[in-house]
Amino acid sequence: MRFDGTFTDGWMRRFAASASATEAELTALDQQAGDGDFGVNLTTGLDATVRALNGAPTGSLAAAQQPLQAAATTFLDEVGGTSGPLFGLLLEELALAAAAGTALTVPALAAGAGSGLSVIQRIGEAAPGDKTLIDALAPACDALNSRGTDADVRKALAAAAGAAWDGVRNTAQLRARRGRASYLGERATGVADPGAVGIGLLFASAGETVTALAPFLTCLSASLPGTETRPRP
Amino acid sequence: MALYFANSSEGMVPDALAGFARAHADLVVWEREHGFVRARHTSPARRVGLVSGGGSGHEPLHIGYVGAGMLDAACPGRIFASPHNRQIFEASRAVGREGGVLHLVKNYTGDRINFGIAAERLGRQGIPCARVLIDDDVASESDGVAAGRRGTGATVLVEKVLGAAADTGMGLRDLVALGEDLVERCCSLAVASAPHTAPTTGRPAFALSNGALEYGVGIHGERAEHTAAHRPLRDLVGEMTGTLARALRLGRGSSVIALANGLGGVTQLELYAVLGEAARLLDDRGVALERALVGDFVTALDMHGFSLSLLEVDGETLKWYDAPAQAPAWRR
Repeated sequence: MRFDGTFTDGWMRRFAASASATEAELTALDQQAGDGDFGVNLTTGLDATVRALNGAPTGSLAAAQQPLQAAATTFLDEVGGTSGPLFGLLLEELALAAAAGTALTVPALAAGAGSGLSVIQRIGEAAPGDKTLIDALAPACDALNSRGTDADVRKALAAAAGAAWDGVRNTAQLRARRGRASYLGERATGVADPGAVGIGLLFASAGETVTALAPFLTCLSASLPGTETRPRP
Repeated sequence: MALYFANSSEGMVPDALAGFARAHADLVVWEREHGFVRARHTSPARRVGLVSGGGSGHEPLHIGYVGAGMLDAACPGRIFASPHNRQIFEASRAVGREGGVLHLVKNYTGDRINFGIAAERLGRQGIPCARVLIDDDVASESDGVAAGRRGTGATVLVEKVLGAAADTGMGLRDLVALGEDLVERCCSLAVASAPHTAPTTGRPAFALSNGALEYGVGIHGERAEHTAAHRPLRDLVGEMTGTLARALRLGRGSSVIALANGLGGVTQLELYAVLGEAARLLDDRGVALERALVGDFVTALDMHGFSLSLLEVDGETLKWYDAPAQAPAWRR
């Protein structure tokens, strides 16, 4: 298949569907680890993205870059809080990297995600281990970078999603040092970071719509105590 | 403590902006759709646009300092909340000049992130953008706090001096260097004997017993590191002035501008006495009080408190401070 605008359009629509389906779970997480508005901010941004995609003139979404840019602009302009606009910067970096051609390639995705990561680290002033979305984005970038230049886009994104979910599960063990959760100290440990979950949803939605978070949040690692073991979804 | 005169707590900012735009229609334009206030008249010599912004509830900061000789635009957020990056982005695009745009940012996490996102977007459009981070509050200096010192009262002095410097045609890099130098040379300290009223609840934002004061309070009702006993003004301002003078290493031969700033709920009678005490103590130390500013410049809603700021100045800084400006809250 060609990874052109039709693909990224579908990707953003699935991302919207995933966010809607999991909004209640995201909100519950954010009420434990943040200020509770992330689920609503994410769905608001993605619903507006879908409206922008529906309203775009015929032919204006042909290149892979265009639906990504539509999502980026929507997030940057319309979404409140700080995590939402940071997602906008990531989407914009993906769009800029994809702009080299009409179709997405694995190197373009790796480059876009990599510059998104560095922009978010710089502006959000957070580092890996601070229990933020960076803890899911950084492993996703590593997964994209480890793929060959002619690797299959769909498989590379699936690998990125897997790495992001591993990162999400790790955030549950971290103590927040940045963002609203940092005020909660130990009270937020054991809870996955909602922004990191958003990164998991982004990459997973490249392949399919996520209908529930619970299977992705369940920890498989035997080294982490106190968690139930379930089969990997 | 009393209920606010307002239609609703959410309406307080837009209702005030509508009135502000009417009251000062000769000086400013409220770009309602994009959420910023811009100056109607500016110096043609200016090559870099100056943009500031932050949470509302600190009026006249920042909107009152938009005008010829000061800010080109200000972006008001909701009460005590950072403006959205889109407001900053749109304001910067509207007032940026051939030399780009300079963001004057008080040091708060939300402001840093939203101005940072806007700067990133401006960079992608090829608009040169730089930042001066204002962190004058010595009470929030602590090794344990990664966020660093807060930006408070001295912000108005930085905005005035940079505005005049920008009107000389100074470029972005030199303005940043001057701004960083100014920030190094100013500091502030605030006290409150009663908290502000929270707009959403109509109740005191924090509890403070009678006869106590918050020494080192923030401009959003952040509690001070310690609560102290209320005491005569001479003792209180003596301790504050001493702390500021040590922080700036002031001594015989130093020159300063002093700002006795009301946080929203104190009288002019009190503020002039604050300035009087501070001036006497500076005299004792051999520090020349070159200029003094007394009044409500950077407030915290109706907090019953004041801040004292000192800016160490040289001849050039004084010249810029004295340069005429025409902004709603600064006409001289």
